[in-house]
Amino acid sequence: MTVMRIGHVSIKVMDVAAAVKHYENVLGMKTTMQDKHGNVYLKCWDEWDKYSVILTPSDQAGFNHMAYKVKSDADLDVLKLKIEASGVKTKVLREGTLPSTGRMLQFTLPSGHEMRLYAMKECVGTEVGSTNPDPWPDNIKGAGAHWLDHVLLMCPFDPGQGINKVAENTQFFIDVLGFFQTEQITVGPGGAFQLASFVSCSSKPHDIAFVGGPTAGLHHISFFLDSWHDILKAGDVMAKNKVRIDVAPTRHGLTRGETIYFFDPSGNRNETFAGLGYQAQPDRPVTTWTEDQAARGIFYHTGVLPGSFTEVYT
Amino acid sequence: MDRTQSLGKDEEPTAAACRHLVHVKQTGESYDCAESETLLQGMVRLGRKGIPVGCVNGGCGVCKISVRVGSVRKVGAMSRAHVSAEEEARGVCLACRVSPLQGVEVEVVGKLQKALGYQWGAGASSRSGPAGETNQSKET
Repeated sequence: MTVMRIGHVSIKVMDVAAAVKHYENVLGMKTTMQDKHGNVYLKCWDEWDKYSVILTPSDQAGFNHMAYKVKSDADLDVLKLKIEASGVKTKVLREGTLPSTGRMLQFTLPSGHEMRLYAMKECVGTEVGSTNPDPWPDNIKGAGAHWLDHVLLMCPFDPGQGINKVAENTQFFIDVLGFFQTEQITVGPGGAFQLASFVSCSSKPHDIAFVGGPTAGLHHISFFLDSWHDILKAGDVMAKNKVRIDVAPTRHGLTRGETIYFFDPSGNRNETFAGLGYQAQPDRPVTTWTEDQAARGIFYHTGVLPGSFTEVYT
Repeated sequence: MDRTQSLGKDEEPTAAACRHLVHVKQTGESYDCAESETLLQGMVRLGRKGIPVGCVNGGCGVCKISVRVGSVRKVGAMSRAHVSAEEEARGVCLACRVSPLQGVEVEVVGKLQKALGYQWGAGASSRSGPAGETNQSKET
């Protein structure tokens, strides 16, 4: 497996100043760069590469692209061939297209989302450094998110019309990018249709998730916290900052993660996600949540899925 | 305690005290909303229903309404993926981004589908916004 992890996500915001304030004061990120177009780059304290979130000014909210980091530059050439052999066109964006970032392989997923792969990004180190480090720094704001953990993409899903981009994305990630599936929600006769899919390229329960919806979009970007107590504190931080909370602290059946869903000032959904749940491995049997227990899989305590869960996204 | 009387310490006393009746045409719901809050904030704070509630930050578009009677003030950016400039000019807006200036009657335009389980994805056209009429961000 050459894809290591999510490296960054680029999202649209309608008020950059408000967005920066949110990602700094609520999530606890730090701004590391701004470019001449007004894009702002931020990182979490426990991340060592220069940025993991790009905020781009726009007249709407939503997803621009996500980028995953591969182990070596040569992997990009290998993956370019594999991706093109699967019938997906690629484009190489030269080094410096994004600041502090090496060349990127750009392509479009079956779901319509833009994805990029890269091997190099300037390493600036974590806030605690790499020599005799303290377990956490003293200058953390807000929830103190450790790292950008994953994204959940809404993918066109309409089995009646023969459309299932959840399944197509999953297949692409497994066959072409070398991920493995950890969990799924299946629906329809005999569980014929994959409505949600969680795939990993590491030992985390997911490095990306796909859920079916009417249109393609960004469901949420998720930030890692250590513990249930950190989730509670994150909830306090959100209340102090009058952040719109979507789903109050609870646990997912899927991934066993502890969670809060909330919205940034442009309405992009964020998650604070705690607990690594279990050690994901390629040979671990895939967990399946059946249609009648799908809501339990998503919100384990209540077993109730708010109607807004699949309809509200950017 | 009547929660409608409790004012936050940061709220502008005059705008907070200035309340207007909001009437939701489809459901017949009415509620009091202060000038210091948005139509959606006022509804949510009172635990009332009628207008679909999403991100409450102008991005998701589910609280799209048309102001039929009365006037409102825009207090924040609304996603152009959901409200075009032309729509905005004729009183279509997001309830989470406008405050009442007088009593208003609104009609819900946005539709929050009750899409659960395998019905997720049913009605693929329901989220169609005014595609094309958007500014591209200078994202690299």
